[in-house]
Amino acid sequence: MSRIISRFAYRFLLRLHPASFQNEFGAEMLWIFDEEDQQSGAAYLLFDGARSLLRQRFRLQNDPGQLSIASGTIITGPGMSPLRLLQGGVSVLLIFFCLIRVLSHANSLFPDVKWADRMSCYTLTLEAPSHAEVVLTSTP
Amino acid sequence: MVSRDTSNGPLSAATLHILLALAGGNLHGYGIIKEIRRSSEGHYRLGPGTLYDNLKKLMQAGLVADAAQVSPPKRRSAATKEDDRRFYTLTREGKDALAKEVDRLQSVVSQARLRLRESRARV
Repeated sequence: MSRIISRFAYRFLLRLHPASFQNEFGAEMLWIFDEEDQQSGAAYLLFDGARSLLRQRFRLQNDPGQLSIASGTIITGPGMSPLRLLQGGVSVLLIFFCLIRVLSHANSLFPDVKWADRMSCYTLTLEAPSHAEVVLTSTP
Repeated sequence: MVSRDTSNGPLSAATLHILLALAGGNLHGYGIIKEIRRSSEGHYRLGPGTLYDNLKKLMQAGLVADAAQVSPPKRRSAATKEDDRRFYTLTREGKDALAKEVDRLQSVVSQARLRLRESRARV
């Protein structure tokens, strides 16, 4: 089930890439995702896909149509409208939500260990300055 | 457009690994990932996003090309799934860039060895 969700999330990530990149490499990236899913783990591939998306969308270039945050200001041109930025933000949030769901599902496979159940409590008492007595008491 | 790290060096780790993988022969994307994993003995991991992002830059810089555009594609009589994949090849400029980077790394290693020898002699 988690595999289907992660594949869906990856396809969604690919769809957010610029159309030219998607057309050129999208099918091959999905093929590699299917091949590598077992070996590398979906979380790593999703992270790599998200990083690639950010690089493609927000690459710092001299191109005025792209985002520039070098001077501390966000300049948007015809290639990056505020609506696109909003869409990107919402998409990233959605992807992270899916990732957290997948990871929390994976964590549920392992037993939850409560350390408080296992730890004993020790008390250290120093009696007098001339001779020190150490009293160790264990409380269940 | 030629990106800064592919024209003047030093090359990024991903770029260097991709060029090294292609120096052994034409490979498709997944072949490059597997070759990098094999040659680095699993120490360097490259995801498909990073791979194609770098391949795009390398193709724009003229260091890597689509193998089908450089030489005619193979005959498809016994076509397998692998035959449908796009293969990438190192161009002459790519080979030059790789050779330049290897020379640069060689001089870094020589310098490092010299410094270490000097510091050992002082102790």
